[in-house]
Formats: sequence, structure tokens, C-alpha cells
Amino acid sequence: MLNHPRISDEDFQKFREFFYRKTGMLFEDGKRYFVDKRLLERMAATDNETFRGYFTLLRFQASGAELQALINLMTVNETYFFREEYQFQCLVGSMLTEIVTRRTSNKPIRIWSVPSSSGEEPYGIAIYLLEHWPLLRQWDVEIISSDIDTQILKQAKQGLYSDRALQHVPEPLLKKYFQRVGTQYQVRQTLREAVEFTQVNVSDSADMRSHRHFDVIFCRNLLIYFDDISRKKTAESFFDALNPGGFICLGHSEAMSRISPLFDIRRFPEAIVYQKPLEAR
Amino acid sequence: MGLKKGKPTPATDVPGERQQARDLDGLLLALQAEDPLTRRWAARDLEAYPEAAAALLTQLRSERENSVRQVILTALTGIGNETAIRGLIDCLYLEDVMLRNAAIEVLKELPDQVAPFMGQLLKDSDPDVRIFAVDVLESLRHPRVEEWLIEVISEDPHVNVCATAVDLLGEVGSDQAKVALASLKQRFAEEPYIQFAADLALKRIEADEA
Repeated sequence: MLNHPRISDEDFQKFREFFYRKTGMLFEDGKRYFVDKRLLERMAATDNETFRGYFTLLRFQASGAELQALINLMTVNETYFFREEYQFQCLVGSMLTEIVTRRTSNKPIRIWSVPSSSGEEPYGIAIYLLEHWPLLRQWDVEIISSDIDTQILKQAKQGLYSDRALQHVPEPLLKKYFQRVGTQYQVRQTLREAVEFTQVNVSDSADMRSHRHFDVIFCRNLLIYFDDISRKKTAESFFDALNPGGFICLGHSEAMSRISPLFDIRRFPEAIVYQKPLEAR
Repeated sequence: MGLKKGKPTPATDVPGERQQARDLDGLLLALQAEDPLTRRWAARDLEAYPEAAAALLTQLRSERENSVRQVILTALTGIGNETAIRGLIDCLYLEDVMLRNAAIEVLKELPDQVAPFMGQLLKDSDPDVRIFAVDVLESLRHPRVEEWLIEVISEDPHVNVCATAVDLLGEVGSDQAKVALASLKQRFAEEPYIQFAADLALKRIEADEA
């Protein structure tokens, strides 16, 4: 008779505690099916017939590759316009207000969106500013967006999207900022020209040195894919890329406090973000 | 005013803090600089020089700026040689809680390099240091973790050291830990927490076997 692997309640509990400690992601009981399905998938892929064997691999594998593979599977990473919109609301409602209040010069405000992926995030930020930040009439804002993948950068510059990527864009904004091109929509040229795309490997300190003086960094759902040391190094590079008092926004399943103690936690009404202390250099 | 096309920071905009020579001597000098930003960049670039581990450790002990400390710790993790490990282990004896905890976090990342020192750390005369050593085991990716924990719960006379170890055995323990867990319960029969934690660990091990 075939023995079908299963995840017992004890296994789930043990896994949940371990995974929380490693990633900060906590799965409620209601997520049991989602978690079990993925664990069983990885158990099959790694030829482990028991949870115990698989857990030993997760816990002790020197390279950490299997833990990384499982994290990738547990993290649903779909890109679309206005994903995690509460952070954009926080940008226009709280962060920028603070930044301009303490600004003593009229230097442009610099926003960095990394990774750019296919461009939904930087264009989304641009639209959000145009629609919801009246002070844009008084301040210059530069949006730079970077990715390690040159192919995806090319795609981002083109700004062509399917209906699926645009599902959360209201009709009036769709008309205002996009034009139909065949079965897709393209970001209008003026908006495409407002965003600068650059290639950056965030793990490469030479690349990171050419990206500095930012007021806000959006780095969502990237660090989760790094190992602990790379994650910490990247956070330290972001610290140097930010102006004192600058903000960094991470993805909803990422917590800076688990990565590096360099940043202060700021709880704004719209979102929790991280801040380089004002007194830091 | 409005959206304006930004540019990466131009190559000519070299941070003042990196204008000094980037060779070993120049970096060691920069590590002593008054400006924390200069020290931070020096520590970052010194990761490429394993022979700088001792200087980084000395600076770590006296450094007051947290951002520089963090970069020094990251550089020491990258270097990971014997000097770095010994220096980080020495941090476990310090009263500075932040530095001690940071050293524990770094040691967790270096299983192969820490392993030769673990037996000695778990036998340290100071129970607090033994607890810190068990804390290092918490995330250490090393095949001997269970064996070390069994040794602790079998031999360590201090209840708090055993309590820390037994918590972790609930996660990594196997059939081999059962006898030691049962004897731990007898050794600390009057300690309700040990009874609870050992029972939980046994329950999880048995569930694994089912």
C-alpha cells in the first residue's frame, strides 16, 4: 500500500514557529491548507517521504537553498498597479509631508523604486503623486526605478500592460494615463518619460554607490528572497542611499526589525514604514 | 514643478568619505576617522581584507555609533576567519547587551566556523555564557546541534541553561533525545517549566515518529 505523506497538527505547529522565526511570516490556522499544500509539494520535489526528513533538510541544510525555495513558494509575488496601495497613501498622506516640512532647500524629492519589475510600481507612484499630492505643483519629484534584469527593464520602459495588471486602476485613470495598443494598454509617453530606469544589483556596493540621496525607497518583496547576510548588507546599503530622515517601505511580509536595527519604525495612520534616523549621517 | 526625470548619482559625485586610499593601510586609518560615515565605508570595504579582522574587532568594542557597529559586524561575518570568531565569542562575556546579542546573531550565521568552539562554550563556567551558546544553536545549521543539546540537558547543572536547551529540542529533537529528556524530568522534578517543556518536546518527537 502506498504511504501518502501528511502534515500532522504537531508538524504544522513546529513548522509555523520555525518559519516565523526565520522570516517573520506567521500563518494562521486558516492558512493550513495553503501551507500544507506547499510543504507537500516541496517534500515531493526533494524526495522526502516524511515531514521530519524534510524539516531536517530545511533546518540544517548548509546552503539554505531549500528554505529559500520554500519561501519563494509561500510568497505570492504578483505585480500589478497599486499593489499594497496603503503605502502609496502613506507616501502622499504622511511621508512627503514630513519630508517637505523639514526641507531647507528646493532640491527635488527623490524616490527610488527597486526592483522595478515590469514598471507597475514606479508608474503607479507617478500616477498617485499626480492624482493625490497637490504639493507636486510646488516641488520637483524624481522617480528612479531599478532592476538587475535588463530584459525586464526594457519591458518596463515600454510600459505595456494586460488587463490583469490594470485591474485596480479606476476607469478615469486608465483613460487619462494609458492608451490602448492592440489587446494591451500602454502608459502614455509623458509619464514614461518621467521615470528613469537603471540597472542595479543591490548586492553590489559599486552599483549602490551610484544610487544615493533618496528621500523614499520602495523595496517591496525583494529582500525576502535573499539569505540573511545579503539581506543585512542590502539594508545597510539602503541606509547609505537614504538622506537622513528618509523612509523605506518593505513588502507586507517583510520586517526591517528582523533584518537590521539601523532604522526606526514609524507608525503612520496609513502604514508602518522604516526611517533612517534624522541625526544619522 | 512636478515630475522630473531623475538621474543616478553621477560618478563624479564621489562620497567624501571614500576619497581616501582604499588599500589596507588607508582603510585602517579611515576606520579611526572622526566622521561615522567614513568609518562605516571603511568597515564595509575592509571585508575584502581578512587580515583586518583584529582591527575591526578592536573598533567594534569601542565604537559608539550603531550604524558603524552594524557594518563592522557584517564585515566580520563576511571575513569569518578564526580571529573573527574568537573575537565575537569574546563579545559573549561583555555587559553590553546590544553588542552581545549582535555577536550571537553573527555566530549563528557561521556554523562551520563556530562548531570547533561550541563544546568549550557549552562547558563555560558562567551559566549566562552557556545560555548564549544555546541561543547560538537556535538557528545554527549544523548536524551536531541535537547532539550538543542532548549533552546540555544531560549534564548541565543549571536549570535555566537546561530550560533554554529543552525548548530548542522540541524543534530539532529526535528519538535519540527521548532518554535524555526523561532523565532531565527526573533531575528537575520540582521545576514545573522543565516538566512542561520536556513533555512538549517528547510529544513532538513522538508525533514525528507516528
